[in-house]
Formats: sequence, C-alpha cells, structure tokens
Amino acid sequence: MSIWNYVVTAHKPTNVTHSCVGNFTSPQELNLIIAKCTRIEIHLLTPQGLQPMLDVPIYGRIATLELFRPHGETQDFLFIATERYKFCVLQWDSETSELVTRAMGDVSDRIGRPTDNGQIGIIDPDCRLIGLHLYDGLFKVIPFDNKGLLKEAFNIRLEELQVLDIKFLYGCPKPTIVVLYQDNKDARHVKTYEVALKDKDFVEGPWSQNNVDNGANLLIPVPPPLCGVLIIGEETIVYCSANAFKAIPIRPSITKAYGRVDADGSRYLLGDHAGLLHLLVITHEKEKVTGLKIELLGETSIASTISYLDNAFVFIGSSYGDSQLIKLNIQPDSKGSYVEVLERYVNLGPIVDFCVVDLERQGQGQVVTCSGAYKDGSLRIVRNGIGINEQASVELQGIKGMWSLRSSTDDPYDTFLVVSFISETRILAMNLEDELEETEIEGFCSQVQTLFCHDAVYNQLVQVTSSSIRLVSSTTRELRNEWNAPSGYSINVATANATQVLLATGGGHLVYLEIGDGILTEVKHAQLEYEISCLDINPIGENPHYSQLAAVGMWTDISIRIFSLPDLNLITKEHLGGEIIPRSVLLCAFEGISYLLCALGDGHLLNFLLNMESGELTDRKKVSLGTQPITLRTFSSKSTTHVFAASDRPTVIYSSNKKLLYSNVNLKEVSHMCQFNTAAFPDSLAIAKEGELTIGTIDDIQKLHIRSIPLGEQARRICHQEQSRTFAICSQKYSQSSAEESDVHFIRLLDDQTFEIISTYALDTFECGCSILGCSFSDDNNVYYCVGTAYVLPEENEPTKGRILVFLVEDGKLQLIAEKETKGAVYSLNAFNGKLLAAINQKIQLYKWMLRDDGSRELQSECGHHGHILALYVQTHGDFIVVGDLMKSISLLIYKHEEGAIEERARDYSANWMTGVEILDDDTYLGAENNYNLFTVRKNSEGATDEERGRLEVVGEYHLGEFVNRFRHGSLVMRLPDSDVGQIPTVIFGSVNGVIGVIASLPHDQYVFLEKLQSNMRKVIKGVGGLSHEHWRSFYNEKKTVDARNFLDGDLIESFLDLSRGRMDEISKAMGVSVEELCKRVEELTRLH
Amino acid sequence: MGSLFGDWPSFDPHNFSHFRPSDPSNTSKMTPTTYHPTHSRTLPPPDQVITTEAKNILIRNFYRRTEEKLRPKRSASELLNPDHGSKQPRASASVTDLSD
Repeated sequence: MSIWNYVVTAHKPTNVTHSCVGNFTSPQELNLIIAKCTRIEIHLLTPQGLQPMLDVPIYGRIATLELFRPHGETQDFLFIATERYKFCVLQWDSETSELVTRAMGDVSDRIGRPTDNGQIGIIDPDCRLIGLHLYDGLFKVIPFDNKGLLKEAFNIRLEELQVLDIKFLYGCPKPTIVVLYQDNKDARHVKTYEVALKDKDFVEGPWSQNNVDNGANLLIPVPPPLCGVLIIGEETIVYCSANAFKAIPIRPSITKAYGRVDADGSRYLLGDHAGLLHLLVITHEKEKVTGLKIELLGETSIASTISYLDNAFVFIGSSYGDSQLIKLNIQPDSKGSYVEVLERYVNLGPIVDFCVVDLERQGQGQVVTCSGAYKDGSLRIVRNGIGINEQASVELQGIKGMWSLRSSTDDPYDTFLVVSFISETRILAMNLEDELEETEIEGFCSQVQTLFCHDAVYNQLVQVTSSSIRLVSSTTRELRNEWNAPSGYSINVATANATQVLLATGGGHLVYLEIGDGILTEVKHAQLEYEISCLDINPIGENPHYSQLAAVGMWTDISIRIFSLPDLNLITKEHLGGEIIPRSVLLCAFEGISYLLCALGDGHLLNFLLNMESGELTDRKKVSLGTQPITLRTFSSKSTTHVFAASDRPTVIYSSNKKLLYSNVNLKEVSHMCQFNTAAFPDSLAIAKEGELTIGTIDDIQKLHIRSIPLGEQARRICHQEQSRTFAICSQKYSQSSAEESDVHFIRLLDDQTFEIISTYALDTFECGCSILGCSFSDDNNVYYCVGTAYVLPEENEPTKGRILVFLVEDGKLQLIAEKETKGAVYSLNAFNGKLLAAINQKIQLYKWMLRDDGSRELQSECGHHGHILALYVQTHGDFIVVGDLMKSISLLIYKHEEGAIEERARDYSANWMTGVEILDDDTYLGAENNYNLFTVRKNSEGATDEERGRLEVVGEYHLGEFVNRFRHGSLVMRLPDSDVGQIPTVIFGSVNGVIGVIASLPHDQYVFLEKLQSNMRKVIKGVGGLSHEHWRSFYNEKKTVDARNFLDGDLIESFLDLSRGRMDEISKAMGVSVEELCKRVEELTRLH
Repeated sequence: MGSLFGDWPSFDPHNFSHFRPSDPSNTSKMTPTTYHPTHSRTLPPPDQVITTEAKNILIRNFYRRTEEKLRPKRSASELLNPDHGSKQPRASASVTDLSD
C-alpha cells in the first residue's frame, strides 16, 4: 500500500520572484533579500561580494516582499504577504541573529473574487499604511498608528475591476495611490486616489490619464523631488504627474522588471521579455522634468526582478534562467554591451519535463530536466553525490592498504604511492612523463604486507609491518633505524603521524614511540585487557605534527578508549554496545569542532563530539553508511579537510554550517582510499576498488551536482533511449526577428554523453510537439521515438488537428518511419501492451503497429475512450490506464483484450485541475493539481455496490506549495537492496520553481512514527512570521481547505538534525525515543535524496 | 550620451571593492544556513495580530447611505440636535465630490 507518503525536497526552489535592498540586519549593513517563492534568502553586501547569511523557509508562497522603514527606526523591516492571504512584518534582531515577528495577520475576505493579475502589496513611502489588492474591486488598507504599529485593516471599494498595477505616489500630503487599469473596451487608463483613512474611503486624486499604451502593465513611482509616475508600455514610456506629461517611443518589448538606480529616481534599469537591459533616464532641470531617454545596456537572463546593489553592481533575479550578478561598465565592450555578467546563480525553473536515467550505468539515477524558458532554455543534469573523475586506472587485485608519501618533508606534492598486498608491498611513483610506474624504496621491506606508512619529520618515511617499524630516509631511501616487535608478538594494527607511532600487538599490548632524526624511541607501553582492533593518532590539536590524544578501539568489550600521549593514560572509555566491533577510528576536526568517528564492522558509523582538553566524548550519533566494514581516511580538497569512508557504499563525510553531512560517492565499492596529490594530478585520490587501482579527482564537496546544457530555446519534452544512447526533445524556438514574433518547433536528437545535437526534425508551421516517448511494438525489434504534436492555429480555441510521428534512429539521424494524423492535440503517449496509447484532446486512443504488404509500417486505430474534458496526463500499468484530466481530476480506465475496448472503471468526482499523475501501486494513484496540492486516490475494488467500486476514494491530501509538472518513478541516490531505505519506493517530481522533490511511500509503522515526530517538530520549530505549518500544509483550493493527511513534510522532519542538542532532547523526551535513535532514523531518510 | 552611464551610486565604496569574479559559466554555489527558529518571538505582540474589520464593506456602505438618506428628512430634528449635525455634512460632502 502506497498511501503513506513522505514528501521531501531534494533541490530547493531557485526561481527568484522578488528582491529588495536595504539595511535589514543592521543600520550599517546593506542587504539583498531574495524571494524564491517559498523561501527568502538574506545576503550581505561586502567588499568580497554578496555573502549569503540565511535561507529562511516561509510557510506560504510569497506574493509580496517589501522593505520599509517605520518612523523612528534605524533599520528596515521586511513585509511579506503570501498567496494564501497571510502577511507578516519581520525585524532582524542582530544581538541574537534571529528574525522577530513585529506583526502578522490574515487579510483574507470571506467573499471576493481573487485578482487575475496577481496580488499587489504596497507600502506608503511615508509609512502611513500598507495597501493590498487581493480581490477584484477591493483595496485593503492596513493603517499604521503614530507609533508605527499596525491597526485593524479595512476594505475600500475600488471601482476599477481589471487592475494591472497599483503604486503609492511619493510626496503627497495624503497617502495617494496610482492605479493602472483596463476598461471593458480593453483600453488602459491611469487614475489616482487619495486614501481617506478616517472615512475609510477613496477621494478623487490629483490627476488621471486616459488611454495610455495598450500594453501598459507597469507603474514606477518616482521619488521626490520629481515625484509623479512612469507608465511603462509596450511601445511607449510615459512620465506623468499633476503638472507634466512626457512620452518616448520604445522598440516594442514587454518590460518584466525594473530597478531604481538613483535615490532621486532619475535613472531606472528596465529588463524586458527578451532579456535586454535598458537604462531609462528622466532628464530634468531642477525639479522640472524635461524629457525621457532610453538606452540599451546589454543582455542578461530574462529578469523577474532587478535590484541595484552598490558601486555599479546589480542583481538580476530570474524565473526563466539563472539569476545573475552583473556589473554596469562605463565603457561598452567589443560587442557594444555595458553589462558584464560576473556570477550566475543556478535556477532549474521552470522544470517543464524531466527524465530519470542512469547515464554512467552505475545503478544511480540522474535527473535530466527541461529547464528555463525562451532564450534561457536549457537541459540540466542533476546528480546526487560526489563524483570521481577517473584520470588513470590499472588492474591490481587484492589491495590491502594504500598510503602516499613525499620525497621530502617540505615537498608540497606526493611522490610515492605505497600499495600493500597480503604478502608483498609495491611502491608506485610518478615518472617524468607523468606516468605511474613501479619503483623501490630500498629501506622498506617489500616482501611482506605493510600495516601503515607515513611521512615523518627530518625527511624520513615510516613503514610498519607485522614485525617491525622501519624509519627510512626519504632522500637516500635507505633504512636509518628499525624497531622490532618483541619476539613472539606480531603487530596487528598501527598508526603514525609525522612524529609519533602507535601500534598494538597481540595480547593487548599498546606501544607508543616517537620519531627523532634517525631514531625511533619507545616511549611508553601499556597492557590492555583485550585485543585492540583499531587505533588513531591523527593530530587535530594545535600542533599539526603531534597528537596529545590517541583513540583505540577494542575487541571483546566493544569499546573506544581515549588515551593521553605520551604517557598512555586512559582518560575516557566509551562502550559502544551491541556485538559489532569497531573497525576504524579517526580523530578529526571540521570547522573548528573536534570529532571522534568510529566505524563498525556492519557498515554503521558512530560520531562523537570530542573535548580536546578532557578527552570526553559526547553527543553520540549513529548512521548507517553501508553493510560492510568501513575504513576511514581524511583527505583535503580545495584546502578543506573531509573524511572518506571506504566501504560497499563509499561516502564522503564533510561539514557544512557546523553540521556533519554524508554524501554518496558515485562508485560501487571502495576497499581503500588515500589522497595522492601529485604535481601532474593535483588534489587527486587513489582508490582501490574491485580489482582496480584508480587515480581520480573528486567533484566539489556538495550533495547535488548540476550541469547545464544551454539550448537557446525552450525544451518542453524529453525522453531517453537506452539502445541508441540518445535523448530526444521537443523544443520551441522563439524568433523575434522583425515585427512578427513566431515560434518554430523542433524534434532534436542529442547524444547522451556529449549532449550535442546530432539530428533535428523541424515541425510544420503552427505545429508544436506535445509528447514524446521511446518505445517498441509487438512483432518489431526496433526501438522508436514517437512524438505527438498539435497544430496550434491562432483562430482555434483548442487544436483540432495533430500528428503522431514515429522515428527510428539510424546512424545518429532521426528517420521518420510513419506518421498518423489525429483529430486534436496528442497530449500524452504511452507504450501499452506492445501498442501505442495516445491521449488526443478529450479522447484516449489505442493504436496498433501494423505491417503493410509492401513491408512498411503504419499506426492503425484499434479502440478508444471518450469522456474527458482534455486528457492531459496518462500513466499505464498492465491493462490499467490512469488519466489526469484538465479539470475532472483522475479517472481509471481498463483495456479489455477480448473485446478490444477501453472502459472506465472508476473516477474521482472532485473537480481538480490536474498538472500531473503517477501510479504509486496497483491501487493507489498520485495527482498534482493547479492549486499547488498533492493528493492520492485509491481504487476501491472491494466496494459493495457498483457506485462504490466506480469511485476513486481520496486517501491523501497535502499542500505542496509547488506547481508540479511531472512525476517520474526513480531515485536520485544509489539504492542498496539490503538497506531499509532501499526498500522504499520513490517518485521524483519537478516543479515550476525549479524544485526537485521525492515522494517516498513508507511502511505504515514508519509513517506513524514519523507523523508523531512531525507533530513534535511543529511544537519546537516555529513558523517564521508566526505562520502555521499545519495551515500551510492543509489541502487548499477555491472550494475547500482540509488538514493534510497521509502525507508528511520531510523538510520539517529532517530539520531535526539541525536542532541544538537541548531541543533534540526535548523531542526525544516527548517521543520516548533516544536522541541517537531519532538521529539515525532521520539521517536514513536524508539518504532518500 | 556617455554621461548617462557613469556616476553609478555608491552607498559604501568598500562594497565589491575586493570582488573577484569566479568563472561566470560556473554557477555560484554558496549555500547559506537554513533558518529554523525555536524562539518564542516568532509570535507577534498580541495587539499586532491584524484582522480585517468585521463590518462588511457593503453593510458599511448601507449604513452610510441610510444616514445620508435620513439626513434631509431629519433636517428639522437636526436643528434640535446640533451636536449630531456638525459631523454629517462633512461625510456627505466627500461623497458628493465622488459622484460628480
């Protein structure tokens, strides 16, 4: 049963919808605040650039974001209004670095028609009131009192019903709004009103302007001394005030965003629909406006918001492409552009379609998205985990250990790679041709297995074998000193750093030695009661060459012990519990915090906070990394230390914001790893895996990796074909040459390794690609790409004609094999019982693949099913067909072989406007609809009556807050069949805001446990601005609002790991479950994405 | 025209002064900490939980209309009750302005 679902974000929204600049975090600090639909990001302007401070989740979709400064305040406040009619005013408390809620409220009305053109929220420049336009014909006022506090809100009737924009005018004695609206003859006008706060009504304003540009859609209020307003049209820009009117013609364009440059309002940046950035200048003599000038600056991503930052730097926020940090240069570059793009901030939105593929054939899914729109369209390859880019590899069986060594103590690079086998040790080194070749270190013993190697002070190298420690000169490579194990004892485990060696022999003997210039000195010996399984003296204290602590793992009592050095006094003993012995211990420090990591023989990893003074171990946490013993090693990449955990599921452990994170490495099994940083291959790792030694570099240490393939056009559908190793996409190119804008649609074939376009098929005029499928048919071994299209004619409301095109990939080219005309748009194509199932307007149609007498093939209609408004999304499972309708929710059809007919079996009678469907299991189907909700329905086969059996029962409801365009089965992470998490089926979704999320169907007991955790988390983690989590996640549309059920918010649950220990204890107490167990269970969930 | 582009405003000349652009084809991947408030000041002061006045805009309008309609009829009584009268002409004045 897949009705208990866990929803979690793998990639947060990146669509930038709003931005503003002000002194938010302190009177002296300048901040850029960015809204990404359901999150805000606070950045600080610094000499080094934009420094991110905080990512703030908001329990709502942000409709308005404004900074304002109430009278008497030295810092700006942040006003946020959400699409579900909540608002809050936030203040930054710099002493505690917390966001404090100054005010909040509900501004919904019980009746009212929500505005079509989006919600408007504005603040009077003199802070007398906040104005909101949320419903047609109403203007809501939240007045400020003279202390800057908000008072009860009230509505004012607004005569204009089709409002396009409202702004406050500057410099008016009474708060005055300017309204841009359209009348019922589609003409556009501008009008002003004074807000009479006492009478709760409008008073006719100082001026109005009839019949402005027909495409006018934006007002820009001009601050004092000029005042007035700019009316931005598609063909003209007008400056208007009570006593001036100036207009200039512009090249036809739709202005999407503006940013004020100067405080006096004389210059503005305008961003248009094609991504062109213009500078609009109001020329004036003193306070008298004399004219307007507009100048093209250059090209950026298509902007949804523009914020001038400081010193000619500008932030361009985009919904259609990557957001950018640009600089405005005084002189144009060789292409005549004044714009220099300095940074790009990745944006996956809008994700219109995606597919899940395993390009590297490693058993791990990667998501390839159709991202961006118009000229900013691209494909993005999104991969979880850290990749190793192989540079060289040799076949070597039976590696038991690896260490890199330098040829002198102060050499920045490694020279030797010591590889140990069961009965020999081999030394590899880089030769002059940058090739790895075998060499010798004469002083080393190469006839036996090496237990440990390390560089030592005074240009020396240390080798530990089962019988001795050898100290060798790294320059002459000759033996300088040797310490032999007492006869009858062999060394089992050993470790060393530049000045110290610690080893253990059978019988529980622990021996500590120090390294001098040509001499090894036995400093201390201790006899422990049990055998020693692992040890470590990695120096993490102040001295990088000397450790004052030693960590030792024990057999029999299954404990870890911390000893002080050099006296080998036991200072801490921690029993691990259970029966699995520790196999690897490691002392390490991340971001100034010391940890002890301990890996067990069953793939679990324990971590403790280590007090360097007292040796005390606290805050024990346990995670499951794999199923086999783990070996821990540190390595550094980009001058930061990380830990590599080699096992059947190799993992990199790193720290971000003082929290340990675990990221998969995209390799199947790694037995040993060591850093091998050579001049030819800097920052490389040597990795022993499956009979192979590989040298490779490692990706940046982060969880998700995104590669961008810019297309310059928008990809709308994507599909991968394993056999031809290609992707096929339906794409749309907007060409705006001359006055007439026209779209051209293509089917393009891309190589799945290089992502180069290798073949293109141009669709007819007005024809657009709607669906794409890779499939094969009964009695035909070929694999085809099928494309469904629609002829979108300007005079038709719905397409009445389309085509199904069947292509074969031959020699890397798309060959059209067959085509079939349809009576409408082919919204969906599915492979179905060796046939082709198409959704064509209101109909589901099944086609057979027939062989003609002449040997050619054709699609022949077999049967169909009417009964939809528009069948937009179709998924199939066996003979079952699940249809997502434009406005009639989900229905279930069945194909009857004997009768050759498709019949309706059941349907959900709610009026959901669908945006995606997926089949979770035989009986449970998942849907997304256009009010940003998710829901699940269940087939009721056991119903007593036909009526009951014919009804899909709604079993789960949840407000996701994202517009989902596509669901796909699959996983972003490597799934191990023997792990608990590996058993959980998952569906991935992609949204307009660029979110990639995972929906995991949990077993019932786990769901119940996590539901309890979620309700406890709600009590501890408060909604920013006082917004309620419960309300945010409640299913919400025009007709109903009901509590979420059978869906859990994984983002809230996983934030457990970010809590302080005290808060964790609080939840642990309420749950009656230990913190360690909670951490482990939540950590496991984070490995779903 | 060159002068249009120059003289970009500067609030703090230090901002971006040490900016080193990374390769713009490499997307910037700075990840800020995610904020999870656990303090009690996420709830606003009790008097700052704002709602819309309960009186519906239509009802408010009815009341006002009624008062306007009643006013001329009551002109006689208005003389008897001058306190009341002093408030109403102003309200009606603003309405007549609108209907002009």
